[in-house]
Amino acid sequence: MYSTSGKTARMNRLFNPNDGKAVCVAADHGWMSDPTANVINLKNILGQVVAGGADGVLMSFGMAQRLGYMFQGKDKPAILIRADWMNLPRLGGANVSNVLPVINFRKMATSRARDALQMGASAITIYYFIGYSDKFEAINIEQAAVFAQECRKVGLPLIIEPMAVGGMVTGVNIAEILIASARIAAEIGADALKIPYTGDVMTFKQLVDQAKVPVLVLGGAKSDVPRDALELVDEALRAGASGTVFGRNVTKAKDPQKMVQDLCALVHGVKTIDEIFETSARRRVKLRADSINCVGCLVCQTVCAQWHNKTFGINGARLRIESKPVEMEPPLNKVSVCTLCEACVKACEPGAIVLNEKGYLELKKELCTHCGACAEACPHNVIWFDEDENPILCDMCGGDPQCVRWCKYDAILLK
Amino acid sequence: MQIHIGKSIRMSDILDGKSLLFDTSIASCLGATPQLEDLQSILQTCANLFNGIIVNPGQIEHLSNELGGKNRAAPLIRIDWTNAYRNADFCISVTDVIRVEISQADDVMDLGGCAAVATLLMGFGDNFEAENIQSISRLIRQSYELSLPVFIDIRPIGPGVSEINFDESIKLGISFMMEAGADALIIPNCSIESLKLIGNWSTIPIIVRIEQLLEKSEVNNLFNIGIEGILFSEKILEYGQFQDNIKRLKN
Repeated sequence: MYSTSGKTARMNRLFNPNDGKAVCVAADHGWMSDPTANVINLKNILGQVVAGGADGVLMSFGMAQRLGYMFQGKDKPAILIRADWMNLPRLGGANVSNVLPVINFRKMATSRARDALQMGASAITIYYFIGYSDKFEAINIEQAAVFAQECRKVGLPLIIEPMAVGGMVTGVNIAEILIASARIAAEIGADALKIPYTGDVMTFKQLVDQAKVPVLVLGGAKSDVPRDALELVDEALRAGASGTVFGRNVTKAKDPQKMVQDLCALVHGVKTIDEIFETSARRRVKLRADSINCVGCLVCQTVCAQWHNKTFGINGARLRIESKPVEMEPPLNKVSVCTLCEACVKACEPGAIVLNEKGYLELKKELCTHCGACAEACPHNVIWFDEDENPILCDMCGGDPQCVRWCKYDAILLK
Repeated sequence: MQIHIGKSIRMSDILDGKSLLFDTSIASCLGATPQLEDLQSILQTCANLFNGIIVNPGQIEHLSNELGGKNRAAPLIRIDWTNAYRNADFCISVTDVIRVEISQADDVMDLGGCAAVATLLMGFGDNFEAENIQSISRLIRQSYELSLPVFIDIRPIGPGVSEINFDESIKLGISFMMEAGADALIIPNCSIESLKLIGNWSTIPIIVRIEQLLEKSEVNNLFNIGIEGILFSEKILEYGQFQDNIKRLKN
């Protein structure tokens, strides 16, 4: 129950009223740390995040001003405004990974609740740092309380983000600190929390149970394996979390739209984590070549070219038949097909070759630099290039490979 | 003593001469202490047993349905936060004791509170004391304009207070806060002689903070010497079925 109908309405804009859950993407890194690729390319990334169906996007006041037009419409994500600024990512005199390292840890309030309302926001988010020093924690508490009061007055939900940082935080006490900080934030006036995972289901359940407000688990540091990131969310959901806030694991992903789609499927209970990755990797069809059966009729190449290019002939086919003559014998034929080994995906540095939602290869032409690394990496030598030097990839005909359908001799089969 | 009619009405929701109150606000400092994890459930089982319950602003915002009304405890809202109660058992240690405000008088009114509760921490040094007193003075003046009662929670727990000067520190705090304009005072339990003196001396209601369950005779003794209320801390939750004990005290 919220103190005003304004808060209720705005919470429902963010958290799906059907299940009380939300998937949010944090896109505020440019406000507080160095401009990495996900900061420079924010507009494109947000386009993909919106297309992926996120429930909320966290951004700075300035970005909300400039990119707020992308969030118009009931089906678009809610806007969350980062109402403070801090320099933690650049803290430490020896922090050479940042352009201008800082020595003093500072956190400043930079927007008001009313400013966020002007941007059409559904909530503001602020930090609560605990474990650095008593004085710094007290400043955080005081700022949070001022925000809480203003939010009450204008009917805007307040999301507090407890962060356990500093010399008093160790691997031994961090879970306990997070649990205490979650309840403290709720006592001060948080309507929801954005908080790191404690590390295990039991302690995170304690945190959720004691907070008694919706808890959004942080996605954490960038993970090279998407499944690892989603498994963290899966655990948090089992512990009672109401959703998640992902930052770099979405904005730095090869396919932010797919990452958001997978997160939404998981958080809103459409798919289990096994189903998400099974759909991507296991339920998709794969080809197997049985060269001993190949008679060299080339029907497979002909139908492939016709299916994809609407041409007659074998140019542009996504598979290859090599024929080696044998004296006094029928030629030996070797069938080379795409086996979805994903070598081309791994070799593509710009991330232009991805697996689509069905698990098949797809080229993002706008990212392709025509370097040819994909063709070099392909162990079956079935990638070549069109007149624009874009790689031609086998897409399994969307799951119904025509070469399999038309081969009468079982030289190409489904695996 | 003449006070605003608004204050008078709000005070009457809380104090009836033999009031029992309960303080849940420790969670803003320590997180959820044992048995305080599910505050809503606690309020549902005991809101009809107490005259007033002290809560933090964040909790009353979400749980206002559980308090107030003819047969349930009136909400008193704690307007400050401190790390003073964190001891060696807490997950992080304290080097500097700090107190900050987390709510204002008008915010308490918006939240439907019947009174604001502020802390006077004693024994933490001159500067700390001066700022604490100034902050309380400001609160009292703001509350006066809104007819909002202010309860001051006197806590002589700093290094400057010992067993020797404990009772005298309480009396000093009472004197300061009566002069500041407080409407009621919460004091720790002390010697019976001091309580008698305080009961006779104070012109505003005195509420004694108790950390354990009491027998009815002990409660009656306090009321008979001029104490108008007993405030139970969160520690009574550690006694199973504390509600039965409270019911006996009320009857």
